[in-house]
Amino acid sequence: MKKNSHLLGVLAAALLVQNAMAQTPASVPDAYASSDKDTRPYDKHDLSGLWSRNTQQFKLPPCTECREHGPVPGYGYHGNVPPMTPEGQKRFEANKPSRGFDLGGKDAIAHPEVHPGMRRAVPPALGNDPQAQCNPLGAPRLVTFSGGGASIEFIQLKDRLIQRFEWTFDHREIWMDGRKLPNVADYLPRYNVYSIARWDGDTLVVTTTGFDDRAWVDHYGFPMSDQMVFEERYKRLSPNRLQLDMTITDPVIYTQPWHSDTKIFGLIPKESMSIGGWSGLLEDRCIPTDESLFNTFRDKAVGKK
Amino acid sequence: MKKPVGFPTLGLGLLMTCATLWAHHGSAISYDTARLWSTWATVTEFNYLNPHPSMKFDRTLKDGKVEHWDSELLTNPSALARAGWTRSRSVEALKPGTKVKLYVGTSRVGGFSGIVMKIENEKGENVVGERANVTGVDMEGVPGGLQPSAEDKKEQSNEKE
Repeated sequence: MKKNSHLLGVLAAALLVQNAMAQTPASVPDAYASSDKDTRPYDKHDLSGLWSRNTQQFKLPPCTECREHGPVPGYGYHGNVPPMTPEGQKRFEANKPSRGFDLGGKDAIAHPEVHPGMRRAVPPALGNDPQAQCNPLGAPRLVTFSGGGASIEFIQLKDRLIQRFEWTFDHREIWMDGRKLPNVADYLPRYNVYSIARWDGDTLVVTTTGFDDRAWVDHYGFPMSDQMVFEERYKRLSPNRLQLDMTITDPVIYTQPWHSDTKIFGLIPKESMSIGGWSGLLEDRCIPTDESLFNTFRDKAVGKK
Repeated sequence: MKKPVGFPTLGLGLLMTCATLWAHHGSAISYDTARLWSTWATVTEFNYLNPHPSMKFDRTLKDGKVEHWDSELLTNPSALARAGWTRSRSVEALKPGTKVKLYVGTSRVGGFSGIVMKIENEKGENVVGERANVTGVDMEGVPGGLQPSAEDKKEQSNEKE
């Protein structure tokens, strides 16, 4: 009961944040100015299609605004990480990622302005990234990962939106049939969570609960709790551009809501996403036996026998 | 000298190509990608698998001795396939016994382990990748290729602590 009350409080806080964002006119920073020259009419309430943040990989015109704008190479949640609670700090320190500037390295020292989470990378064989054993990425990491190489497919039905993720060949359901979020205490937490969505003007607002807290927010090992409320705001800016802004509200881990950097995706015609004439997402799975073989090479790279 | 993750010292073209690498499994941090070297080698095993293909190869030294190396390739299979390097084409290009010129970054702790950034066949063609702009110090026949210095190893050790 106490857990339920707590979750209701978090949901209320998330709704306040959501309303505050809704009252702010949508603005796109210069770095995100659209490169899409397509002026054809399109349905702003249809997000269907294959979306990627690296259009050049598919021999399409470059989308500079799609590139990650974070302070370190690689794709992540980014934005200004809020101070953590003692519990959050403890979980943060337990995670040992392999992304960002390497721990104690020249760049880590030269860029103290970058959050410590992105200045602590260790070789994969010495880290504890869940994906090194092919554990599920879960949400929101499935979303924050999708970028350069891996793409997302949105399949929009009358009652739900299905997201398919190329890397790990996973999927997630976002229900749009008017249902309420479940009482998570009565359900199992799960990697691919419980999500509902509604239209707020031309923005699809997705609210998500029920996280499995073994997953990381992104590649940098930022933690989450099973009490987290995650909001995504998708807006189709033009025929070929999709904007995503995210907010994490998790008082177990973070002392304030955490807003992501804006992410921009480019629409990839299925004909452009094809190999040997077969279009669509690749089955880019993380296979435990393959990963295990690969890890023997990784172990040798750090001198492990 | 401590080594950066890799991107500040690599060219922009390589950076663009490497996005997938960093996105997947953080490969660069295990290897010295800032000091690449080249060598002729003979493929002994090639695995076209996620998250990155792996390869074993032999290189013959000036005195006739043979070194046995383990490596991973920079680019993951999905990116290779999209660049035209499908599984069958890649396996054929790197079947055991094939002689290739490799551009390698040695593991940061040293030894016969590295990351292969570019592969050329005997005709000088780029195979299993399209990273034409990668260069490296010629270490043909030199024992160990380009190994980290004792100082580098010590600093790497400190970083782990």
